[in-house]
Order: sequence, then structure tokens, then C-alpha cells
Amino acid sequence: MAAPVSRRRTTPGSPGCLAEVAIAQSPRKRLFRPIRLLLDVLESAVLARCPSCHSTFSTEQTGRQLCPACAKPLVVPEPPPAPLGAPAAELLSEPSGTPWERRKELGFWTAWGQTLQQALLEPGRLFASARLDKGAAQLGFAVLTTSMFWAAGQIVEGLLLRGQTERMRRLFATLSQNPDVAPMLQRVLEMQSQASSTGAVVALAALTPAFTFVMLYLNAGVTHAVAALLGQAKRGFPATFAACAYASAPLVLLAVPACGSIVGVVWLIFLTGIGMKVTHRISTGGAAAAVLAPYLVLCCVTFLAMGALAVALRNAMGRP
Amino acid sequence: MSIERAGQPSIHAVALAGISALLLLVAAMLPVDAPLLALFACPLRAATGLPCLGCGCTHAFQFAVRGQLVAAVSSSPLGTALALASAGHAGWTALRLAGFPYAPKIGAGVRTRWACALALAANWIFVAVRNHP
Repeated sequence: MAAPVSRRRTTPGSPGCLAEVAIAQSPRKRLFRPIRLLLDVLESAVLARCPSCHSTFSTEQTGRQLCPACAKPLVVPEPPPAPLGAPAAELLSEPSGTPWERRKELGFWTAWGQTLQQALLEPGRLFASARLDKGAAQLGFAVLTTSMFWAAGQIVEGLLLRGQTERMRRLFATLSQNPDVAPMLQRVLEMQSQASSTGAVVALAALTPAFTFVMLYLNAGVTHAVAALLGQAKRGFPATFAACAYASAPLVLLAVPACGSIVGVVWLIFLTGIGMKVTHRISTGGAAAAVLAPYLVLCCVTFLAMGALAVALRNAMGRP
Repeated sequence: MSIERAGQPSIHAVALAGISALLLLVAAMLPVDAPLLALFACPLRAATGLPCLGCGCTHAFQFAVRGQLVAAVSSSPLGTALALASAGHAGWTALRLAGFPYAPKIGAGVRTRWACALALAANWIFVAVRNHP
């Protein structure tokens, strides 16, 4: 059996990064052949970086195999080292996976609870243990957590606001006729004034997984685009996605009426910054810039929007 | 950018392709003269008279899916580029799911990043000048 990963030769100047992955033979010859199994098995999984496409993938085996991203053949080295002249690549110690990514061994709710707890209280540890090849699991965690508590929050708010429905209807009806309010908002207000039935609340709650899915990818896409523009996207979209997915854990606060959403979103931004720092292995400043730059624009827009809403409300109330 | 051999698309590529297709579908279904989608008239424009970076993107998507690229670029070059990128990504991902073994690889070197930043600035200036009364 091969020596443990930690005993392997490290790349000069990159402590912890182990040496070489090499191309085995012509891609044309091996492209459609099945992966040849191994000459060796490592004691723990490693991340290998393909020397052709530079994408990082997980493998628990040494020897010849195909890159899962570009399908080019390569060799994950074993002792003795790969032939001289082969392109060098990094081997990085593979994280064990977050509790949610190990939910088969831990149990569904135990894994979910531990992941939530780590995200809220030990985010650095959680992001460090996230595996970039577990995007589907991370998507599942974010959609489950956010939509479950978002739906619960909508139902709770619907129940709590039941006594104020008539008052809200009058306010929305007044606002929807105000010329300072954009046409789309007027329509939303009209719909809001009409759709306060239990059925509408339940239907809206049922749509939250779809909303969550779209919002998660839009958030990750914008964050990754800004990070790439700033040169901080060191490990590709899966790293940004892992940060954004686990950073959605504070959205459990959406179940708390009124202030829960505000606290949850601020916490989410904070966790996204930590996640970007850990998953991309970038500096704190780089992570902060990548995460906050889009929110600065949004904050500016939100601030102005709040001002516009205040003007509209003031006019609707008939005050000078 | 280069075209390289690739395996099956990742779950993220498929999800982003689905969202891209959804955006294009909504843009195609939405009438061009529909009321503004934003909940507020652009606050930046209301406050300063200048458009924000995203101003015109909805109309650019609407014109682009109808094949009216000149009108789309006139509304927002950024929105047009995003619409074309969305269509390209959705189509290419569908091909890869069907077995097409190639994918584009986009480098993000310093020059590319500066070019993107300058393109964003140029887009904003264009939209500001284009919409100046």
C-alpha cells in the first residue's frame, strides 16, 4: 500500500501541496476507453489537478485514469514517482466532507443539524471540510434549509397578520394608486391586497424551493463573476457555489417574522465572505471585496429604494 | 477562449443552463411594451438622472430573444451580451448532454479581467449617453 498522502513529496513553495500528475499517453488513444484501475490505492482521498485543463477533481486511487472534466488521460502518481518530463501538477489533501456530505453515514437529520450548527458557529471548519465535487449535496442543503424555513415564515406571517388583513388591504389599495410607485409595484400591491387567502399563502410557500434554487445560482453567479473580475476566483465556480450554499444556513431565521430576514441576510453575507476565503484559499481582503462589491451596489440601490418607498408612503398618508 | 475536450457537464453547468433557458423564456413571453419589471423606477436614475449598470437589460433580453439585435444593443450592450451568453450556454450544455465532447474554456487572466472591467464601464457610458434627454 502506498504511503499516506502526508508523507509524499511536496511541491516547492507550496507547503501541503503534493507533487505531480502526469499525462499517460495520447488522448486520442485513450479517450473512449474505460478507466484503467489502479496500481495502487491511497489511504485517503486526494484532490488532483489535471495538468491539461487545470480543473481539480477527487480521486481515491493512484495510477492511470481520465480527468473527469476534460476526459484527458493522466496518471496520479505513486511511489516511485512519475516519469521525468511529465507535466507537474498539485495534489492537495482532500477534505473529509461536511456532515451533510456524509449524511449517509451520519443520518439525514443528524447531518443536517451538525451542518447547520457548524455553519452558524464554526463556519471556518465547515467550509474547510467542504468537498468541491459535492455540488449536488450542497445545492440540496441550501434548497432544503432555505425553502423549509422561508415557507414556514410565510405561513407564520400569514397567521400573525390575519387580524390586520383589512388594514393592510386599505394601505395597499392607497399605495397602488400612488403615482410615485412604479407600475410593477402597483400591480404587486394590488395582488397583495387581493391574495391574502390561506390558499395563496400555501401556494407561495410551495414555490419557495424553485425561488431558492434560482436565487442561489444567481447569487453564486454574481459573486463568482465579481470574484473572477477581481482575480479572486482561484478554484473555480464549485468553490464559490459551496461558499454560497452553506452560507445560506442563517436563512433559517426567515421563519422569524419581521426582523428574522434582515438578520439572516446580514449573517449570510458574512458567512459568504468566510466561505470565499476558505474555499478559494484567498486573503480576507480579497474575499471581502469579492463578496461585498455586488452588495455595495445593491445596498446603494436598496437605500435609494427605501427612500423612494418612504416618499411614496408619506404622500399616501397625505403628509407634507 | 479555447475549445477543449470535455466530459459530461457538471451539475452547476446544467443548473445554470436551466436558469438561462428560463430567463430567455420569460423574456420571450413578456411583451416588449410591458410595464417595468423593477419594483421601483430605477432609484439611481430617479436621484441622479443617470442610469445604473443594469438599466435596459430587460429590454435587451426581450429584443435579443426576438432576434432584434440592433435594438437589443441599443437598449443595453451588457444585457445583449448576457442574453447571447445565456443562449449559448444553454444550447452548448444541451449538446454536451447529448454527447458532444467539447466545451469552451475561458481564461481569466489579467488582460481578460481588465477588458471586462473596461467593457462594463463602456457599457455604462453608452447607456448613459444613449438615454440622456
